[in-house]
Amino acid sequence: MSKTRYGFLIDLRRCIGCRTCHVACKAENDVPLGVYRTWVKEVEKGTYPQARRQFIPILCNQCEEPACTTVCPVVATYRLPNGIVYIDPHRCIGCRYCMAACPYAVRFIHPERNVAEKCDWCWPRVREGFGPPACVSACPTGAMVFGDLDDPRSEISQILAREPAAVLKPETGNDPKVYYIALDDAAARLVEAGGEE
Amino acid sequence: MDNMTLLYTVPHQEAFGISIAIYFYLTGLSAGSFIISTLAYGFGFEKYKSLGKVGVVLATLLLIAAPMFLLLHSGRPLRAWHLFVYLNATSPISWGSFLLTIYPINCLIYGFFMFRGNARLTKIFGLIGIPLALMVHGYTGFILSFAKAHALWRTSLMPILFLTSAMVSGVAMMILVTIIKDRFFSEKRQVNTEVVYGLGKMLLWLLVFDLFLSLSDLGVHYFSEAESMETARLFLTGALAPTFVGIETLLGKVLPLVLISNSRTRNLAMYGFASVLVMVGIFFMRCNVVLGGEFIPLL
Repeated sequence: MSKTRYGFLIDLRRCIGCRTCHVACKAENDVPLGVYRTWVKEVEKGTYPQARRQFIPILCNQCEEPACTTVCPVVATYRLPNGIVYIDPHRCIGCRYCMAACPYAVRFIHPERNVAEKCDWCWPRVREGFGPPACVSACPTGAMVFGDLDDPRSEISQILAREPAAVLKPETGNDPKVYYIALDDAAARLVEAGGEE
Repeated sequence: MDNMTLLYTVPHQEAFGISIAIYFYLTGLSAGSFIISTLAYGFGFEKYKSLGKVGVVLATLLLIAAPMFLLLHSGRPLRAWHLFVYLNATSPISWGSFLLTIYPINCLIYGFFMFRGNARLTKIFGLIGIPLALMVHGYTGFILSFAKAHALWRTSLMPILFLTSAMVSGVAMMILVTIIKDRFFSEKRQVNTEVVYGLGKMLLWLLVFDLFLSLSDLGVHYFSEAESMETARLFLTGALAPTFVGIETLLGKVLPLVLISNSRTRNLAMYGFASVLVMVGIFFMRCNVVLGGEFIPLL
């Protein structure tokens, strides 16, 4: 069996900010109200009439060196051999340490199960052969590409071989695996103080 | 950049809340009072003999109360046994689950021999307890510094900062305990000023060291990378300045420092007042660090 190492690519030039990925994810993964496995961050640059909106879909980066698996006291979150960071919902004690460690704020406590949850690139769906993650299937402009980084013939490898791509917060050393084409780093980092719940 | 407006992002849940701040505060008080308790029984400072028993009782009670806040915080408290079965060597919480078990047990043994009057065994378990007390509070600093997402927390100063503030709050509590115990429960109803002033001197130097650490921490943040600078501004001039500069630093550290070091305010009432200020100040310090660390959203 050949080794697979999954990666995710978002071409922001194609993203129209429709949030279909956001909705598809909610439906696929039964994500409750108030929490999100993926979302589309929206930043306006400039002022009318010289203004342009940036859309930045955010999801779990399935880091190669994840901060969350380092700190989980019960190894409830771990990397699968294909690189996806998975959570064992039966082992998690809901201590929220992974949420404190994740630089991408993609983790949350499931309001009903009281354990940590996050995007897993629809691993159960992918594993059972139902196609790519729900957000990738739903994206109307084909801005999202999911595939094997170790296979040079895969679409993602071919695009990454020719296009300049960037990741969010590379300085964390987590080695994230969601690649963005045409990423405006300053827009992606823009936050409002005191916005945490 | 100034020409950008954030139009939409989602609210993020808070990872560590007030219950974690209270937990840190209680373990700090416990470690502090344990170390004071060993001054007489472990190191032979006979002056502080009166604090040995009350110190170990407080250390044990506080450390039994503290983990309750962890259970309160955890989403699945009935799964706490997982902590002892599934271990992760790189997770400070995994270290802590053992420290939080061994330390109170050692406190009980140490206290047992102290009350039985067995000086030799009291000394042995007191000395075993010192590294345990340091670790049980030091590890909480590692909890925060390993949560590297937040600029305020990812500093190697965190464990020593936490240990120092633990000693500060612990000594302040022991000053109050001495005053209350001697004034209302001793035979002569008279406070042993020698003990209070001795502890005051200790508190003075601990406060100086604590101020040095906390200011050097924020000072380095102030001139560091973007996220750190933003955090430092938040504390020095931003939304958290009233609690950090006002309550934690001025009321909780500088004013007590002045009261204790000034010979004109050298009386029991002022020492008691200073101790209350210090204890409130350190509580605010825990809240500032825990809640302030997550104040600025990540994405």
